Amino acid sequence: MSGLKALQESFQRGVLAGDDTILGEIKGSAKESRDVLFGVYRNAYVLRLIEVLTDDYEQLHAYLGDAGFAKLARAYIDAHPSDRRSARDFGRHMPRFLRHADTHAKHPELAEIAELEKALGDAFDGPDAEPLSLEHLAAIAPQDWPRLVFEPHPTAIRLTFTTNAADLWSALHGEARPPKPRHLEEREAVIVWRQEFMARFRPLPPEEAMIWDETAKGVAFGALCEMVATFAGTYGAELRAASYLKGWVDMGMLTNCRIG
Amino acid sequence: MSTTKPPFLGFGLGLRPQHYREILDGTPKVDWFEVISENYMIRGGQPLSMLDQICERYPVVMHGVSLSIASTAPLDMEYLQRLKTLAERVNPKWISDHLCWTGVHGVNLHDLLPIPYTKEALDHVVQRVTQVQDFLGRRLTLENVSSYVTFGQSEMTEWEFVSEVATRADCWLLFDVNNVYVSAFNHGFDAGAFLRGVPRDRVVQFHVAGHSHEESHIIDTHDHPVCPEVWELYRAAVAHFGPVSTMIERDDNIPPLAELVDELSHARGIAAEVLGAERMEPAA
Repeated sequence: MSGLKALQESFQRGVLAGDDTILGEIKGSAKESRDVLFGVYRNAYVLRLIEVLTDDYEQLHAYLGDAGFAKLARAYIDAHPSDRRSARDFGRHMPRFLRHADTHAKHPELAEIAELEKALGDAFDGPDAEPLSLEHLAAIAPQDWPRLVFEPHPTAIRLTFTTNAADLWSALHGEARPPKPRHLEEREAVIVWRQEFMARFRPLPPEEAMIWDETAKGVAFGALCEMVATFAGTYGAELRAASYLKGWVDMGMLTNCRIG
Repeated sequence: MSTTKPPFLGFGLGLRPQHYREILDGTPKVDWFEVISENYMIRGGQPLSMLDQICERYPVVMHGVSLSIASTAPLDMEYLQRLKTLAERVNPKWISDHLCWTGVHGVNLHDLLPIPYTKEALDHVVQRVTQVQDFLGRRLTLENVSSYVTFGQSEMTEWEFVSEVATRADCWLLFDVNNVYVSAFNHGFDAGAFLRGVPRDRVVQFHVAGHSHEESHIIDTHDHPVCPEVWELYRAAVAHFGPVSTMIERDDNIPPLAELVDELSHARGIAAEVLGAERMEPAA
């Protein structure tokens, strides 16, 4: 096996690291030199992965422009050789890469736009689950409600942003001129999930974010109402909790409930 | 393991997300679809739902791009399990991938990389195909790839290598007409010799596709319509192999479905001219 193994290792080094040792094993053609022919593989590797990243991070690409994105993509490709069978997974480290890369860490909105795009991608082909219906809820006896525990849709992902990344994404997606990036005084909670076939997101106001997070931890409805009361006053607390719940059901953000 | 040769399915297309709705809302003149296996190794959402609906209406074959059958890295059992699980969902007429490798040491170069045509590589591939077929419980179908380099250490021609793999590992072949054309141009061999050198009874599918001509070499880009020279080679392939399930492969610069259906009609027309209409009926 040594011949084939050594050749494949050398070929891979040639593609990934520009090592020319493999050229010694390659024959030129009558029409072209071996380095140009081997260059087809070198170019294809980079171009294919840039294309994958461009598809997965469409708004980040729009924000940075072709040249800026290509530079980022090349740095990412160097830092993270693809280690998965599916190219779909290749860009999964992008938010973390942006947060730590010297060239981009000073612009935290970049990592947050990437985080949002990654979450939307993950929600798009995440697990299927039947959304919880209002009819299902209506059939639950009033005395059981305080003990009711809700299950978020399995595609639901909670993000927290320190910048106006969500607004930037929306403007870019709508092909509008994006606002200036800015640091937010208060962090913004965002929820991403899939409704039918559409990956969606929306910002959550602080009270709704708090109650969503507690719901996702399995806190029962009665306790959620108490939390709402503590958070923003007892007046109308149950109504507010119920109204959040109805909104989540309408938007397909929950999949199930059980009496805990 | 079933050893019956898969049926002639007629004329198919690669399933692409851009065409989901049009396929399901209409009745395009397409006999079957080929799906990229890796695109459906996901947990849910629209792609799997569309796939399920297509499978209800059309014969489907699965075509992978990352089996890496010729790699010296160990077989990726997790990948194979996912492939098997997808096959249980799709019930494909066959499962194909490429006679190539895609990486070693846990890296995937996302390319169909060339093999040196040596006895060592042949033994290695035959043993891996056997292992994969045993695991999947079915025969694999392997496709010849386009290549841009050849290795000094090769001891046989590509078609000798392909034929030996098919015979010794007892697998089927996907004869990619465009890839033969591209590699013949790049390496200066006779495409007809390749065609005549492959065992007839092993070929279950044809791919026909477009490419990019770079003067001194051709790159297999699948982003153009099929060129006249590839159609001519297709004509020769039909004459040699008889009725073989044929598919137009388009992966980039994807045109409206109607354009691909027209191109497929062209393939159908060539096959009808060569074989006569009575040999063109797909198996029920």
